[in-house]
Amino acid sequence: MKKLYILYDSECELCRRSRVWLGRQPAFVPLVFIPFQSAEAECRFPALKELRPDEEIVVIDDAGAVWQGGAAWVMCLWALQEYREWSLRLAQPALLSLARRMCEVVSANRYKLSRWLTKAKSNDELRHKLAQIPTQPPCLPGGYCKTR
Amino acid sequence: MNYVVGTYILYLVISVALTVWVARTLHKNGRLFLVDAFHGNEPLADSINHLLVVGFYLVNSGYVSLALKYGDKAADLQQLLEALSTKVGAVLLILGVMHFFNLYVFSKMRKRALLHGAPPPIPPQGYTPVAE
Repeated sequence: MKKLYILYDSECELCRRSRVWLGRQPAFVPLVFIPFQSAEAECRFPALKELRPDEEIVVIDDAGAVWQGGAAWVMCLWALQEYREWSLRLAQPALLSLARRMCEVVSANRYKLSRWLTKAKSNDELRHKLAQIPTQPPCLPGGYCKTR
Repeated sequence: MNYVVGTYILYLVISVALTVWVARTLHKNGRLFLVDAFHGNEPLADSINHLLVVGFYLVNSGYVSLALKYGDKAADLQQLLEALSTKVGAVLLILGVMHFFNLYVFSKMRKRALLHGAPPPIPPQGYTPVAE
């Protein structure tokens, strides 16, 4: 595995913060963050919509293997040098189902949590606030895929 | 030569001998661990092993010299043995702690090395086409 693409929601403050945190950690496998709403995500993964990236986080490796929700989070941790041990622990069946459920709850409430984090009153205000923040470069240098 | 000096000399001889023995044991038996931790890179393992032993010698010799003058002063043979026993006991405990600390470092390095090559813990849930 050469790269791990992380399809996150750029309209959610919680997801953005997670992305920043993940990006700061030393990693075994380079992580590439792409907002699932972006043109780049669509052109790099033509069948992305079928994976419902708007419901839960989607992680795809350079060969096209897909992980979603809790499993995707475990894969993110696995890519990090400091947290690989934790990912192996979390991948055990009992803990994995717990992680899945946690992830479902957080994903379903992510806009509520983001509104609380940004002190926005409505989802529209949240979107407006997040649009003010300059977006980070979508890809690692040289990783940009041309929009057809 | 009075009893106090006798205590000191015996203390130094025993402590230094113990330090050398533990350091050599660590050096000899820690090597395999380190070679494994560094994916069979023997020169690197030997170098780290040597550096660890140097640190071990420094900490222990430092403690032994610092602790020389502390404790009860012996006036007869009984007190000499008591003082000596207390001092050597402290050195042994310090050596033990250092030894376990070294083992901890070795096993941590080994674990790290094993983690580096660990496969993904969860099989993929599906496949999707990727455009270049």
